[in-house]
Amino acid sequence: MPIVEPSLVTVKREEKLELDGIDVSGDWNTFLEPRVHTDLDLKIVDWVRSQPQGETISRCWQCGTCTAGCCMHTDYGLEEFNPRYFIYLAQIGYEEELRKYAQTIWRCVSCNKCVERCPKGVKVEEVVHTIGTYLEVSGGAPESPADRFDRAYTENLLARGVLDEAALFRTYERLEGRKTPARDLLRLGFTMLLSGRLHTGPFAHRTRGWRRMRPVLTKILEEEERARRARVEAPASRARGGSPGRAP
Amino acid sequence: MNPVLVLGGGPAGLSAAAELASLGAPALLVEKENYLGGNPKRWHYSLLAPDLKPAEEVLGELLRKVEGNPRVETRLETTVTQVEPAGKGFRVSLRTRETLETREVGACILATGFDHFDSRRKYEYGYGRYPDVLDFKELEGMIHDDRILRPSDGAVPKRIAWILCVGSRDLQVGNTWCCRMGCAVSIKQAVEIRQKHPEIDAYVYYMDIRTYGLWEDLYWKSMQQYGVKFIRGRIGQITMAEGGKRLVATGEDTILSRPTEVPFDMIVLASGMEPGHGTQEAAKLFHLPVGPEGFLTPKVADINPVDSGIPGLYLAGAATGPKAIPDSVTEGMGAALRAFQYARD
Ligand code: SF4
Ligand code: SF4
Ligand code: SF4
Repeated sequence: MPIVEPSLVTVKREEKLELDGIDVSGDWNTFLEPRVHTDLDLKIVDWVRSQPQGETISRCWQCGTCTAGCCMHTDYGLEEFNPRYFIYLAQIGYEEELRKYAQTIWRCVSCNKCVERCPKGVKVEEVVHTIGTYLEVSGGAPESPADRFDRAYTENLLARGVLDEAALFRTYERLEGRKTPARDLLRLGFTMLLSGRLHTGPFAHRTRGWRRMRPVLTKILEEEERARRARVEAPASRARGGSPGRAP
Repeated sequence: MNPVLVLGGGPAGLSAAAELASLGAPALLVEKENYLGGNPKRWHYSLLAPDLKPAEEVLGELLRKVEGNPRVETRLETTVTQVEPAGKGFRVSLRTRETLETREVGACILATGFDHFDSRRKYEYGYGRYPDVLDFKELEGMIHDDRILRPSDGAVPKRIAWILCVGSRDLQVGNTWCCRMGCAVSIKQAVEIRQKHPEIDAYVYYMDIRTYGLWEDLYWKSMQQYGVKFIRGRIGQITMAEGGKRLVATGEDTILSRPTEVPFDMIVLASGMEPGHGTQEAAKLFHLPVGPEGFLTPKVADINPVDSGIPGLYLAGAATGPKAIPDSVTEGMGAALRAFQYARD
C-alpha cells in the first residue's frame, strides 16, 4: 500500500536507474523515514549526576522494579509515565526521545514507592524530578496546557496575594479556547457563591500589605529561575564514569 | 601426626576430609548437624546444574569416601567452642550436647558454608504468607519426589514463575553480591519440570541471566528444547487475585515498557546465598577478618584462595563466597593438600 501522508516520506525520483541490467526507474524512498536512532549525547546524564538529587542515576541497571510499583504507571495507568525508561533515556543520552516526556515526567506524585523498592538504592523520585528539571530549564519543550495553567495560576495569585478562582477559570477557558455550557457555569457559580469563593473582579479579596510584598516575592522567583537556568547551562565539570560510591 | 580438623560436613568439607585420608593423613570432621552433606542434603537438592546429575550421586561419591574410612573421624552434632594455639597447630574444644572435649590438631580447614537467604525478608513477595510462593530449595524437594503440587490445594499447577535474585543484588536487604547459582538452578528446575510435565508453563523473570561459563548451554537448551519463557523485569510485588486463589506477579516487562500483572499457580523465589551461621561463628572463633559482605576472605584470593593468612588455617567452599558444588569440592582438595603439607612436618 502506498504511503499517502507526504510528511512521512521523502520521495526520490529516479528517471533512469538500472540495477544488474534490470530497469528499476521510478519513485524511490517511498518508505517511512528511518527510525534508527543515531545520536547520543551524555550532557544530560552528566548534569543529572552533578546534582545532589540526581547523583544516584548511575546506579540504575534497568530492572524495572520502580515502574512495576509506580502509582502513576501501574495504579493510575499512565503508561507513558515510566521512571525506568526516563532514566534509561537519560543514561544513554537520547535527549530527543526524552523530550517527548518533558510534560509527563512531572506527573510523579512523589509517593516514593520506587525509592523504597529499588534494589540499587537509586533515589528514583529525585532522579526523575532532576531529569524533569533539566528538560524544563534547558528549554525547547512546547508549552502544554499544564504549563499555561501554571503560568495563569501564578499570575493570578501574584496579582492580589489571594487566588481569584473565578478569574482563573475565565483565563483558563480563554487560553484553551474552551466554552463551558451555561448550565454548568450557573451551577458552578452558585456553588462558589455559597462557599464564599465568588469574590472576583472588583470584589476580589486582597492580602494586606500585598503592594509591598509583591515585588519582593517576584524578585525571589526571578532569582530562583535564573539560578536554575544557570545550573543547566554550566553543568558541573564532573568526570564521567565511576560511581558515587556505595550506599550508606 | 595430629589430625587435621575439618569444620563443616558439606561438599567442601567432605572433599577435604576425603582428600586428607587419601594422602594418608588423619582427619577430624566436625559437623554441627546430625548428618553429613550440608545444604544439598538438608534441602534435598534434586539434580545438579549443569549436567543434571542427581545430587545423591555426587554427594554419595564423597560420602562413600568419608564414611567408614578409618582415617576420618566424624563427629556429628558437635561444635568447636574454643581455639588456642598449641605448638604449630591448635588446641580446640569440641562440644556436644552432653560432652566437652579438648583435642590437639595439626591444622584447621574451615568449610563452614553458606545459608540460603530467608525469603521472608523480601516481604513484598509474600513468602511465608502465601503458601504457593515457594523458595526454590523447597521446589528442589518437590522435584526430587516428583510431586509438583500447589501447596494451598494440592492441585497440579498450570503455570509457574521463577523470580531470580531474591535476596541477592539488592541494597534493600543489604546483599549486594550475586549468588552465582540462582539462574542456573532456576533454569534447571524449569527444565526438569518441563521435561516431566510439558503441560506446565514455565516463566522466568530476570534482570540478567548469569549462567556463566559452560552453564550457558543449559540456558540455551531451556529455550530451544523445553520452551521455558524469559521475561526481562524484576517483580515488584506478589499479590493475591481471584478471591485469594491465584498469585499475581506485578512487574514491568522492560522490553515491552509496560506493566505486567500475570496470574500464576506457583511462584518460586531463587533465594540467594548468605554467609552461613557457622561461617560467622568461625570468623569470631578464629579472629578472622570478613569482607564487607560477611564472607571469610582469603589472604590472596587470586593466587591462593584457600589460604586464610593465619599459618595452619585454611578456607574452602562457600564460606568465602557463593560457590557451586564443583568449585567447593576443588577448594576442599586444595585446602586438604595445603593443610597436609603444613601439618606433616
Ligand atoms: S515517587 Fe513518582 S516515580 Fe516513584 S513510584 Fe511514586 S509516582 Fe512513581
Ligand atoms: S528500580 Fe532502581 S535499578 Fe531498577 S530500574 Fe528503577 S531505578 Fe533502576
Ligand atoms: S546467579 Fe542469577 S539469580 Fe543469582 S544473584 Fe546472580 S543473577 Fe541473580
